[in-house]
Amino acid sequence: MSDSAITPRAGANVDFRQVGKPLPRIDAPGKAHGKTRYAGDYVMPNMLHAKVLRSPEASARLTRIDASKARALPGVACVLTHVELPDRMAPTDIPGQTGRKRLDTDQQILVRERVRYHGEPLALVAAESAAIAEKAMDLIAFDLEPLPGVYSVEDALAPGAPVVQGADNIVSTYKVRKGDVQAGFAAADTIIENTYHTQFIEHAFLEPEVGLAWVDENEVINIRMSTQVIEHFRFIAEAVGVPHNKVRILGSLVGGGFGGKEDITVEIYLALLARATGRPVRLCYTREDSFFGHGKRHPFSITHRTGFTRDGKITALQVDMTADAGAYVFLSPYVLLYATVASPGPYRVDNLHVDARAVATNNMYTSAFRGFGAAQACVAHEQQMDEAAKALGIDPLELRRRNFLRTGDPIATGVPIESAVWSDECMTRAWDALGERSEERGPIRIGRGVAAYQQSYGRITWLHDTSEAWVGVEMDGTVVVRSGVTDIGAGQVSALAQIAAELLGVGLTDVTVYNSDSATTPLAGTTTATRALYMTGNAVRLAAEAVRGRLLDRAARAFGVETNAVDMADSVVFVRDRPQTCMSLTDLVATCASEGIHRSELVMFRAPFTDGIDAETGQGRVHPDYAYGAQAVEVAVDTETGEVSVLKCIGAHDVGQAINPDAVEGQIEGGTSQGLGYALSEELIYENGKLVTPSFSEYLIPTAMDMPRVQSIILESRSGVGPFGAKGIGEPSLTPVAPAIANAVADAIGVRIADLPITPEKVVKALASAGRGP
Amino acid sequence: MYAEFDLHVPADMDAALAALAENGARGPIMPIAGGTNMIVDLRARSVSPRALVSIAKVPGMRGIEIDDARVRMGGRTTVSDLLRHPELGQIAPSLVESARLFAGQMVRNTATVAGNICSGSPAADLVPPLLALDAEVTLASRSASRSLALADFFQGYKQMQRRPDELMIEVSFPRPSANATNSFYKLARRKGDAITVVGVAVAMRVEGDACHDVRIALGSVAPVVLRASGAEATLEGQPASAERIEAAARAAMEAVSPIDDIRASADYRSHCVHVLTRRLLTEARAQLAREGAGA
Repeated sequence: MSDSAITPRAGANVDFRQVGKPLPRIDAPGKAHGKTRYAGDYVMPNMLHAKVLRSPEASARLTRIDASKARALPGVACVLTHVELPDRMAPTDIPGQTGRKRLDTDQQILVRERVRYHGEPLALVAAESAAIAEKAMDLIAFDLEPLPGVYSVEDALAPGAPVVQGADNIVSTYKVRKGDVQAGFAAADTIIENTYHTQFIEHAFLEPEVGLAWVDENEVINIRMSTQVIEHFRFIAEAVGVPHNKVRILGSLVGGGFGGKEDITVEIYLALLARATGRPVRLCYTREDSFFGHGKRHPFSITHRTGFTRDGKITALQVDMTADAGAYVFLSPYVLLYATVASPGPYRVDNLHVDARAVATNNMYTSAFRGFGAAQACVAHEQQMDEAAKALGIDPLELRRRNFLRTGDPIATGVPIESAVWSDECMTRAWDALGERSEERGPIRIGRGVAAYQQSYGRITWLHDTSEAWVGVEMDGTVVVRSGVTDIGAGQVSALAQIAAELLGVGLTDVTVYNSDSATTPLAGTTTATRALYMTGNAVRLAAEAVRGRLLDRAARAFGVETNAVDMADSVVFVRDRPQTCMSLTDLVATCASEGIHRSELVMFRAPFTDGIDAETGQGRVHPDYAYGAQAVEVAVDTETGEVSVLKCIGAHDVGQAINPDAVEGQIEGGTSQGLGYALSEELIYENGKLVTPSFSEYLIPTAMDMPRVQSIILESRSGVGPFGAKGIGEPSLTPVAPAIANAVADAIGVRIADLPITPEKVVKALASAGRGP
Repeated sequence: MYAEFDLHVPADMDAALAALAENGARGPIMPIAGGTNMIVDLRARSVSPRALVSIAKVPGMRGIEIDDARVRMGGRTTVSDLLRHPELGQIAPSLVESARLFAGQMVRNTATVAGNICSGSPAADLVPPLLALDAEVTLASRSASRSLALADFFQGYKQMQRRPDELMIEVSFPRPSANATNSFYKLARRKGDAITVVGVAVAMRVEGDACHDVRIALGSVAPVVLRASGAEATLEGQPASAERIEAAARAAMEAVSPIDDIRASADYRSHCVHVLTRRLLTEARAQLAREGAGA
């Protein structure tokens, strides 16, 4: 589906043997041949099957719950309600490496008295079969007394509104006060103000939440899980009430995460049931469970008021944004922070004023989702740029060019951007790749749009992020990498193997990676925040470099040359200028082993550590670095029916250094598909807090028939803080897609639809109200 | 999925009809073919049959036969079978188009023609083209079998003429004449595997300038898939001028009684009935004009 463009390289003198090559990923054969074991493929003798009973109400008081009939049903091993868990709470914060968490974010595990969202768990059942467990759920009697709820942020902020969280439903706020916004607006020739809305979105991973837990002979609760975060073992231990070293998470290859497996999902239920029964317990969500069982993407309402000079320079920007946090806090404050930082986009804005708030409601709680607030911010700032271009009579690409950040410019939080900002290169290349404009026929109108973005990679710097990896060379010259990183389908593990292979002079298939085990692999600290390659890639690089250094030292002594004259490739160690002076890696390793030279290394990589930003001004460092790129699309709009077809879609991204270009393309193609759904068809609809779209016949992710050919343009500035100058692509690939499509639709029909998703009906209505109907 | 029922897998038609004849006060006995609706309904607990009668092993119920007069499809003919037939696309392009846009590949491979009709859904995609093709259905029970027009089969929302002891064994329609055309458009919220927001099927024949046997069938815009008789009458025996086509499209719009749901509003559905009916009639006229000129 993809073209790889010619790649401009900043450091053109670098010559890699493994890195940068489109090698078949090490996880590919197992997946292609159906041999990969996902978490749901594991079974154990004597295993029980679990189910979760959920509240049919969104806001209610639980006045009675009686599981006696369910417990009496033959084949039922255990039913847990809040009665059995009087003192247990579930942490919902980011699992930091510092042992600290926000104290106000714990959540009841099972409803004690108050139901805050539709689907909140009331009881857990474990039985000999899933069918018996389901039958048992029918036998649990409970009474819910409806309570007044708040189902929109407006309702939640109204005076006297029912309080869902905190004192006033405001779970988080952020501010930016930078420069002088009043003076900036005074200096403006034109001021443009618009409000943009985004919707609740589902991650829709192929593999629903699933896990298998058992308590072993050392009283350790083992949980084989589909998760992005094995580091949750600490929170799970605290929730269950055991020491940290008595919970072990074993990951497996994950069938999609996108942020939806960043929070704890079924781990605590499994741990509680395995302990209560003393038997292995498996819990596999149905698709409906999955729709009800994990947090969603935040809907945002974002108002931009932007001042421009006549020639298109931004003089001031005032942003007001409100996010629906749903019924529990989870990661809303962090998502809001990312949205705040990203609010001006990849543009230099010296006079910036941002007010952002996340508001609790009785809707489903919202949390991490690929793009993490920056995606919603991009939907607003990129549509605003097009609206401004239209008002100013300036070409939308040119308007962006006049405002793009340059390396060294301060971003929203006042910190200068240190790496390359190739926004213009990416945008121009993507736009040019659209080629000839498609033809308009009858009621069909063609439109084009671009969007550029700024997306962080790496975690918030005051969370003091670290990642560990162990690299060693076996006696036969093969290489082992151990790191707790979880692979959520993007090739995280294969990239680590490629880095180790590069530095230790072996082929990719000579590397075996053991990953995703909280007990036996050094902790890598979550596959989230586009951080896995940056953090763990660096840890593997440092560990491999240390081993390489010791091996080359020993070889140099054997060859009688300086260490820096020696190189290794194809499992041979040689003098760079005299390749005939060489020895096999196996012989070198044998020598090292017999002399007690250490053939392995455990390394901790540390991201920059900072204190928090200034609460009043929002100024200070928030992230290690940022990625930049752009999307260009062409759409066809049927102006009679409102149907939108995306005809061409090009993602151009500066990834710093592609470790594996094929894997990068995979991210760009997947991000494009997810962004297309975000723009056009996907929406979780909550009516008075109740989800009315809990299946794939109502929640519409794009199908193959909806997808155009996706073209990937990979640029490499080698300026990032990841290994070999890599940045990140996991989240960036998604972020600009929806606003680019929205801009293309507006270009096609001459009317802006500021509320995602852009459904056929909204198109028809917008055209009718603009008097542009057919 | 928790559901308890007996499953009968009869080896021949007599046994299948005998099993269905056991329907009575102790709860319904229902036939299951592809199961693509039944399994969903069982999971949602919107049906709770005492027994299911699988017709998977009943011989002679699957296949497409075309002679000079009629096209006959066994009730268990799958949607994919419609797509694979070498001639059907020429004879009934509307039906094949609706099969092409029907759900996803896995569902097409197992969902059946009779199953789609008997789901009773106003969004059933095969029904508008079959109605526009004047299809007839044959229902068999242990005591008798009967044929009736598909147009008479639907009585109300999910209300049909099929008795619980009957099996829909065949669906057939007259082979369209040479100077005839039929077409179908499915409007949905996405291109693949989507529930229809508005489905429009049109069929007509021309003699000289005049349109005959005009059929306009509309899906997802009323409790049942609807024939727009008033719209048909506007064109019947008349030349298909742009004005008459517009009048027919308006009449079609006035015939529908759509609802607001999560997919679309009633107003939007009505608007699209107008647009799509006009579009399909215009295309039909153009196609027949081309073919007439070519002949």
